[in-house]
Amino acid sequence: MRIVAEHLSYVYNARSPFATKALDDVSLTIEEGEFFGIIGHTGSGKSTFVQHLNGLLRLPSSLKRRKKKDGVVLTVGEFDLTSKKTDFRALRRHVGMVFQYPENQLFAETVFEDVAFGYKNFADKKPERDEVERAVREAITAVGLDYGAVKDMSPFDLSGGQKRRVAIAGVIVTSPEILVLDEPAAGLDPLGKREVMALLHKLKESKCKTVIVVSHDMDEIAENCTNVAVFSDGKVKDVLPPAELFKRTEELFSLGLDVPLTAKLTLALKQRGVEIDCDYTMEDFVAKVLAKRGNVC
Amino acid sequence: MLKDVSFGQYYPVKSFVHNLDPRLKILFLIGYIVAIFLAKEFLALGACALVLVFAVFIARIPFGKVMRAVKGILFLVLFTAVINVFFHGGSAVYWDGPAVLWEWKIFRVTQAGIMFSAFLVLRLFLLVICSSLLTYTTTPVSLTDGIESLLTPLKWVRFPVHELALIMSIALRFIPILMDETERIMNAQKARGAMLDSGGPAKRVKAIVPVLIPLLLSAFHRADELGDAMDARCYSGGKNRTKYKKLRFSWRDLLAAVLLAALIAGVVVMRYFPVFPL
Repeated sequence: MRIVAEHLSYVYNARSPFATKALDDVSLTIEEGEFFGIIGHTGSGKSTFVQHLNGLLRLPSSLKRRKKKDGVVLTVGEFDLTSKKTDFRALRRHVGMVFQYPENQLFAETVFEDVAFGYKNFADKKPERDEVERAVREAITAVGLDYGAVKDMSPFDLSGGQKRRVAIAGVIVTSPEILVLDEPAAGLDPLGKREVMALLHKLKESKCKTVIVVSHDMDEIAENCTNVAVFSDGKVKDVLPPAELFKRTEELFSLGLDVPLTAKLTLALKQRGVEIDCDYTMEDFVAKVLAKRGNVC
Repeated sequence: MLKDVSFGQYYPVKSFVHNLDPRLKILFLIGYIVAIFLAKEFLALGACALVLVFAVFIARIPFGKVMRAVKGILFLVLFTAVINVFFHGGSAVYWDGPAVLWEWKIFRVTQAGIMFSAFLVLRLFLLVICSSLLTYTTTPVSLTDGIESLLTPLKWVRFPVHELALIMSIALRFIPILMDETERIMNAQKARGAMLDSGGPAKRVKAIVPVLIPLLLSAFHRADELGDAMDARCYSGGKNRTKYKKLRFSWRDLLAAVLLAALIAGVVVMRYFPVFPL
């Protein structure tokens, strides 16, 4: 499913002294099969944007009326989100959304029940017991947990990293085509971060065609994403592959953003007279540096 | 959606009313309510209404916000009005025509009944508007400061005034945070296909469980953390504590006090020397 947004704007608390413009004329296309990164400083509108993708935030009605004039477009595959008649339940089955700190959404008595929650909600009729079990087993296994060991445990007895995996399992249990994650690795230790990112790659290959990640961690972005959108003050500054994006280190700094370690090293080397042209993944960077070393030292 | 809930929340603009001392504002509210109940005729109540309209005007609260407060009790007001129109009775005559306008079994619409109902409606509206004016123009923090200060005499009987004020201000402080949290959790569960706003009552109660449990958990979690943070900074009760913002009376408070005193005096005088008795 392809995501197209054109001239999308959103204002929180419209017509009150608290009014804040979160999105300002955002146009963005995300192709099927992308590992899409969204970066931007806090309050730049990235979370607001992704919440539009499964209809949790809807276009305000005032905007709908002016739709034709302003050319506002928001489609996810076949779903036209500017229309009131869209079947949001069906949409949400196709667009899985993992919020920040998803472990805060766990509620059921057992891990099994919690993961099954989404599956049962989206089923058209009451699903058979073994059907549910199969889906839940698949999801729990997909996030790298031992189904037999955790299924009857209380989700609150798990460790932080495990909780997050269970929460992700609760979203992918319906096999959404698009998986959106808001800071999936926030608050995890380095190992946990690597595991979550590896998990996302695995999911992308097996279950979810498109993965969209909102992140502050530029190393993650550089290593994983095929395309990156830079949000700033509710606008999209640019959409570029990481190899292009992180060439503009100073510009990103001026937006209050970080760059990956590889980009910092490249910059430092450049200032000392060594030009390195890499795609900013650690592997490529090391290879290029090693190749250069012969003629420098 | 939850953000739209109006609780008579603080409305952040700068105005004469906003700058009044919260202790006095609370006293003013009490005084004003007393005045409303002392008023026995339309002229007196009209004077009260005029003062309130003036106060709302200089507080720069938009008309819509005030009406939102009124909307909450609209049903109650209409109910009392209808009951009174039909059952009040009375034989006083206020305009040309018969005292009893319509009668059927125990129902009796009289001129006095209509007048009395109108009086009641106005009184209820004034009550709601004046109390919401207080919360619109006073931050929760200064409100609790004011309450704490006003309750100080109770310390003499060992009533834990400071602790009470602290509990209140923490509770108020947490409302917006927990509202945000609720919204986040609701969104997360909606994304997992929870239908939170459809189905019959039984279904809805069941649907709220996935929201309620995480919310309670996070509230307890936050309470724990706050307790630890206070402990870590050696927080201990009210003794010898100084305030960041000291409450001080100013010329504004005096001016407002004079206005309110005049209103109450006028209403009391009219109670004994009515102009157009109801």
